[in-house]
Amino acid sequence: MTNTQIQAVRPRPATPAEVAPRPSARDRGSRLLAALFLAPTIVGIVVFTVVPIAGSIVLSLFHWNVIDDPSFAGAANYREVFGDSTVLVSFRNTLVFMVFAVALQLLIALVLALAVNGRMPVWLRSVFRSAFFFPLVLSAASISVVMKYLFNQDFGVVNWLLGLVGIAPVPWLTSENGAMTAVVLVYVWQQFGFSFLLFVGGLNNIPKEIHEAASLDGATGLRKHLTVTLPLLSPTLLVASVVGIINALQVFEQPYVLTNGGPGDSTRTVVMFIYESAFEQLRFGEASAVGVLLFVLIMAVTALQFRLSRRFVHYQ
Amino acid sequence: MNLSRTRHTLAPWARIAGLTVCALLTLGPVVWTVSTSLRTPAESFDLPPKIIPTSPTVESYRGVFEQIDVWLLALNSTLVTALIAVGQMITAGLAGYAFARLEFRFKKPLFALVLATMMVPLQVTIVPVFLVLKSMGLTDTLLGLIVPAFPTAFGTFLMRQYFLGMPKDLGEAAMLDGCGPWRIFRSVYAPLAAPGLAIVGVLAFNYHWNEFFRPLILETSGQNYTLPLGLVSLQGNLGTGSISVVLAGVVLSMIPAVAVFVVGQRPLREGITSAGVNR
Amino acid sequence: MTDSHLTRRTLLRYGAYGAGAAALAGTAASWDRLTGADIPGRDDDSLVVATLGPAYGPEAIRTLTDGFKELHPDIKLRINAVQAVDWSDFFAKILTQIAAGTAPDLVYVATEGVQLFAQRLGVALDKWVKRDAAELREYFADVHPSLVESMMYEGSLYQLPVEFNAADMYLNHQVLGRAGASFPAADWTRDDFTALLRDMKKSSGSQFTPYFWTNRLWGGVVPWLFANGTNLLSESKAPGGAWLWDDFYPAAERRGRGGGFRWTTPQATDARVEEAYDYLASLIQEDLCTRPEGGNGQNLVGVFSTGRVGVTPAGGFWAGGLHLAGMKATDYDVQYFPRWRTQRMQFGAAGYALLRTSKRQEEAWEFIKYAARKDTLMRLFKTNQTTPARRSMLTADRYRETGPNHWQVFYDTLDKFPDTGPIPAPPQVAEVEQVLLKHTGTALASRRAVAPALRRMQSDLEKAMERDV
Repeated sequence: MTNTQIQAVRPRPATPAEVAPRPSARDRGSRLLAALFLAPTIVGIVVFTVVPIAGSIVLSLFHWNVIDDPSFAGAANYREVFGDSTVLVSFRNTLVFMVFAVALQLLIALVLALAVNGRMPVWLRSVFRSAFFFPLVLSAASISVVMKYLFNQDFGVVNWLLGLVGIAPVPWLTSENGAMTAVVLVYVWQQFGFSFLLFVGGLNNIPKEIHEAASLDGATGLRKHLTVTLPLLSPTLLVASVVGIINALQVFEQPYVLTNGGPGDSTRTVVMFIYESAFEQLRFGEASAVGVLLFVLIMAVTALQFRLSRRFVHYQ
Repeated sequence: MNLSRTRHTLAPWARIAGLTVCALLTLGPVVWTVSTSLRTPAESFDLPPKIIPTSPTVESYRGVFEQIDVWLLALNSTLVTALIAVGQMITAGLAGYAFARLEFRFKKPLFALVLATMMVPLQVTIVPVFLVLKSMGLTDTLLGLIVPAFPTAFGTFLMRQYFLGMPKDLGEAAMLDGCGPWRIFRSVYAPLAAPGLAIVGVLAFNYHWNEFFRPLILETSGQNYTLPLGLVSLQGNLGTGSISVVLAGVVLSMIPAVAVFVVGQRPLREGITSAGVNR
Repeated sequence: MTDSHLTRRTLLRYGAYGAGAAALAGTAASWDRLTGADIPGRDDDSLVVATLGPAYGPEAIRTLTDGFKELHPDIKLRINAVQAVDWSDFFAKILTQIAAGTAPDLVYVATEGVQLFAQRLGVALDKWVKRDAAELREYFADVHPSLVESMMYEGSLYQLPVEFNAADMYLNHQVLGRAGASFPAADWTRDDFTALLRDMKKSSGSQFTPYFWTNRLWGGVVPWLFANGTNLLSESKAPGGAWLWDDFYPAAERRGRGGGFRWTTPQATDARVEEAYDYLASLIQEDLCTRPEGGNGQNLVGVFSTGRVGVTPAGGFWAGGLHLAGMKATDYDVQYFPRWRTQRMQFGAAGYALLRTSKRQEEAWEFIKYAARKDTLMRLFKTNQTTPARRSMLTADRYRETGPNHWQVFYDTLDKFPDTGPIPAPPQVAEVEQVLLKHTGTALASRRAVAPALRRMQSDLEKAMERDV
């Protein structure tokens, strides 16, 4: 049994060949093939991502409004950014959003995956799986336009439904907490299907014997999930949360369409700030500086996750 | 299935009822979109929402076809999305295999580099990307949308997982039979990769079919617009377009993604099942 | 391995080959499409005009192109309808092109961007206007000087306005009827307005709000500031401009005109600004008004046309929108904004700005003139998607099908309240707008929130205005 998950997240134990490279025909063949296979991806990434990122990093050291030539600014953009309360608020919003969105997304996906995995007719399971995956095929921008109607405080379907069970209209898009909640809900609604499918896959691959053994030991229901299923699923959880966090930290469309960052700054995210300062306010240097900071933040969070995962992720 | 017997203290019917409610909540907004597109604008906001329109009308769909050149937009979108999907399947399949099964120097940093590209928001790099494309003469062409999208970090990651999930002994046996690295890839592993590639393809399709920002910035001529760009004109000056027509456009643009999803569902599920996991 | 497995695999392989071949063939066949080589005259020296897509559908583009070709067969023209959802998306596109040195020659710019373009990117049209004065006399005679003045910056003219929209009050007849209220008079006051909202509220059930508005620069809180005789930034006029006024407008109309607006010192903490906010907050508290959602007002047409809202501010562009949404001319009507301390109203206008980087400035000027011609605008504005800048185009005939009955209001605003002016849009407009929207959202959370939010707005505006764009 190989542990593929562990290799996704930390180096595999070195094979003898890696420890002591022996130049042989096979190794050379392998390296040549690797070079050929990697070329399209690496060349593409260098040209269309690394070079542009390098450009952004350089740009973050300049004042540039697109129209005039850039002028060197040194660390001025970074100083400005750290002194700008909107930047700090947008970083805080993004982190708050990330925590709630990812937690909710994983929780919903996990519960639904466990439930779908239970006994039911095959066709029904297929229907549920399709339904939960469906929002993923829609465009985030169009669906946010639709959601804006549904979440309208006075005329929206959401408040109408809540009214049926006696809940007073919630100012979803026009109060600070309501707006963040709505953005999280719309985002999670669209994204949870992906984690859901990952979990369904992970659950299918937990060998039957383990569960049978656990059942024989008398573990049932929730306790069994907590003590048996979850640890076995932890590699999948890690993948789902890493990808989920990377995506959530770059959230843009949902708040942009639903609330335009408001009310106040309450749903302004980092990427929104970047977009606004660059393309609306012609402050490309500052926007690049924030972009660099966001990049660093995402890398740091991801690295932290992998560190923590050593303690919590169990491999068979 | 394997865990069904003792797993739940909940009765199966309660579980299925719960799932049904969740499925309805998930599909609700989609159903509302479709049904609103079939109603007259005057009925758009009725509460309770009339899910089954009292007098369904396809007037809005006619409106979409009258206002924009749906066929040209769909052709462009199809070309762009299909080529990106195929391209990503190739680059991700090859690179994923290299990272999973081949030995070479700088493997770790290169893999980290690939993953790191997931962490950069598009909005930060779009101006430099535009400059790169300009130097290649690819601005305002569909190729300019397609080529930069070929490398895919997540796809590479997925395919690496996928290849790692395949039994190692297959390759080792072939090696003992005297196969070189290329033969091992071609005859042993590549034929098994189809479900994994299907996920990469379907995910690429979903993402790029709905893409808005890159086409907005990179395409200039109306003839090069993709469907999401074209649909914007339905919104009308200052958002005064008919909501029914806007939603009819959304529904139309949904169809191919849904079709791909339905067709690709099985390989997708198999692929995801075996990609994220221990075997 | 079983036989069936082998067959399946073989099948798969042939399937893959087939798909690959088809993909290759398809790619080869559509190569011209992929490289854009099938677009005629793409890389030639055409005059390139960038317009806003949602305002100019494919048919409008064709109309515009064909008409120009007839007039100037020697000038090759390419119109790019930028499919931006809003002004900032549009701007993102134009900026990227400027950064890459592939900027268009002409850009469609609304009041929001007039001074920004004028200051950083644009070319003044003065010399051409003077040269072609004879030809333009008819145009200026047809266009209100307030609109022209809004396109001036520091004494020079940067655009010929082709359309504008003032924020008028739209009223739903069905809701009025339900409340037993009559259509308000042209000189109605703020208190009349409040009373009307109360009547509407009383006579309607839940899921109804009398007054609905969108939190944006145009038509958001600004009309109330104008009505209360104040503004977000102190307003004055640049000197100059006499060259235009003296030549094209009679003495009565040129009195008080200058070289364009200057918006300078922020005055968010001004007592009258606070009063306007406090009034809106009180409406919200009384459930007479929604808290404003941010955005482009997409919800508005729907909720108004279905009678979920009784009154809302919008411009002439709504006549076409409401018609599309199924409203008949008899279902709604339009009136001036109510009087408070003044009845001064706000508007936004738009026209084509000529970029400094253009190498085809003479041809571009020909297009600017062409785009402002009456026959051009007649063909372009068929569906009442906006208010034409030319007064002679506002006729009973034009509004017969779409309504409103009081269509005269759209243009008469400019005459009846001669101090009616553009929304405040200095070159720092993007930041000013963002600050305004942001703090308006928090200010209207409750009446107590008004003063502190305005203080923060003031300090943010001061920072924004200090910045050199």
